Amino acid sequence: MPILEIKNAELSIDNKKILKGLSLNVNEGETHAIMGPNGSGKSTLSYMLAGRDGYELDNGNITFDNIDLTPLSPDERSNLGLFLAFQYPVELPGVSSTNFLREIFNSRKKYLGENELSHLDFIKHLRKVAENLSIKDEMLKRYVNFGFSGGEKKRFEILQMALLNPKISVLDETDSGLDVDALKIVSEGVNNLKDKKNAVIVITHYQRLLDYIKPDIVHIMSDGKIIKSGDADLALYVEKNGYSEILNEKS
Amino acid sequence: MKKVRNDQFFSNLEKFVNKVYPNQPQRQPYLNLKSWPSPKDEAWKFSRLGKLARKNILPLNLENQKDFNINKLIKDSISLIFINGKFKKNTSDKLLSEIVIEEVQIKDFKEIINKFDNLSVKNHPTLNSTLSCSQKFFKIKFKNGIKFYKPIEIFNLGGTENTSIHPFIFIDLGKNTDVQIFQHYSTYAGLLAPFEIINLSENSNLEIIKIYDDKINSHNMSLTLSVINEEANLRSFALLKGGEFTRSEMHTLLEGENSKADINGIYLSSGNQHHDLTSCVYHNVPNCKSSQIVKGVLGEESTAVFQGKVRVEKLAQKTEAKQMSRAIMLSDKAVSNSKPELEIYADDVICGHGATVGELDEDQIFYLSSRGISKQKAKVILIDAFLNEMISLSISDKFHNIIYNETKTKINKLLANEYE
Repeated sequence: MPILEIKNAELSIDNKKILKGLSLNVNEGETHAIMGPNGSGKSTLSYMLAGRDGYELDNGNITFDNIDLTPLSPDERSNLGLFLAFQYPVELPGVSSTNFLREIFNSRKKYLGENELSHLDFIKHLRKVAENLSIKDEMLKRYVNFGFSGGEKKRFEILQMALLNPKISVLDETDSGLDVDALKIVSEGVNNLKDKKNAVIVITHYQRLLDYIKPDIVHIMSDGKIIKSGDADLALYVEKNGYSEILNEKS
Repeated sequence: MKKVRNDQFFSNLEKFVNKVYPNQPQRQPYLNLKSWPSPKDEAWKFSRLGKLARKNILPLNLENQKDFNINKLIKDSISLIFINGKFKKNTSDKLLSEIVIEEVQIKDFKEIINKFDNLSVKNHPTLNSTLSCSQKFFKIKFKNGIKFYKPIEIFNLGGTENTSIHPFIFIDLGKNTDVQIFQHYSTYAGLLAPFEIINLSENSNLEIIKIYDDKINSHNMSLTLSVINEEANLRSFALLKGGEFTRSEMHTLLEGENSKADINGIYLSSGNQHHDLTSCVYHNVPNCKSSQIVKGVLGEESTAVFQGKVRVEKLAQKTEAKQMSRAIMLSDKAVSNSKPELEIYADDVICGHGATVGELDEDQIFYLSSRGISKQKAKVILIDAFLNEMISLSISDKFHNIIYNETKTKINKLLANEYE
């Protein structure tokens, strides 16, 4: 069953074409990796999927569970079950982490027509989820992402992912700024959430993350398009030979 | 530019005073002021009084018959009620014996006023009009050693659109006292000119929270002069949200060593409202600390002003003074003016100031919405966070929720109008 279908997506920012006819199909249970050199449009793709203002399609379409995503706002997309782990999580000084997490957790529950959790029950649930990601209570008492280290910010993203239980998660350069230990914790977190009903898209520069989160399909993105797709070996090939060979092959 | 200044008010005032108080020559010096300050006057550059000058306002000399609703913020507080600027002993709560309200004469606080020997204070319309026409001058005296556990709520009520009212209060804290006061300004007055004097004796602590919420056609021009003695601590917080024009002006004199003054505030401005927080802190002795921190949210066509001045005398070494103003604009028609001033004559001081004005951060809104929170809710969360930081910094923990709730309705209104 396809969860996400992107067809011929074209998108420009400040009159400059960034996505030039990108197509991608993601089915339930799959893990996709999108790799590509700087400036190939990877982060634009993630913002486009999340529905950020200014990242509307010029042409093409995206459907999510057979629903047209293009007219939907970011919160509507999130409620449907789309999650973006940010490359640079945003600091929210003055917003307590625990309150923020409860707010997003309950708003998803409400959307799904499930019962919201009481404060106490939520805290219990949160403790359990946080523990698996080695997130201490002390961190949850701070403001959202405010003064967090790079690793803490990425773990906090995965914590949100775990609480929201999305159908599809886009991890935008989640490995950047992580040391090996943090990388392991984050990857384990993602792997634990993976099941036959959901899907993950991992956007990354390097093969390193893919040692921990095993992709079913690897796509190479260049100049706003996917130019080559293959299995996990394609990532190893890129790691060894760089992007230039594939890029040259294409041109 | 055509000059429309009728200044009828000052001749009305003079007639009123001569008729009602024919035998009180001590009021006469305060009738010198003949017109409102003009925009050429540096202190009033951003807060123009043209509209006030065109109103035909008479000082109010009515005993008020109406009943007023007193909405206490704190259940067990002691309320003191001023209607049309007059203290109503019968409707107020009973005081403990350690607190005395007594009538005083101008000569009893003249010395304090003289300490602020400064032109902008001397010719201040509130000082002049209130001292010339206030019916009675009340002092609330807290005897030495009171650690006062019940907050006091002072309510300023009454007024009509074409009248002015002139409440006066002298708050006098004895040594080693600890007092919390809420000042409510909720009048219908065309002009409300509250004049307040605060004297903090050695090692006394006053937390004063002023809530400016007059009705929509009101002009409120409040003036507070405070003198802080050794080891004393003034914690002042102003919330400006009502009225057509509200200026909260505070002059604070740090006169005793190791004393401290925090003169902070929040303004929430909508429609055509004009809100002004003006504060001068004078460091006259060494080893004192002060802060003037102001945050605001402006919507529609509102305007706001922050004027903060710190003056550090040559003698006042080891001064620490902080000034900061931050405004969030919800509309591109709103205007925010900020004028921080440091005047430093000592050489061993830490003084900092800064000002920022901007819209809500798009990245932050997007981050919240990507988690399933609607754009409007995201804005509420961000404004709450912006204000909460200020509230927790400025006032005692036990009052946080009260003040937070006081901001809530106004914030919702501001955001609702943005979406209309």
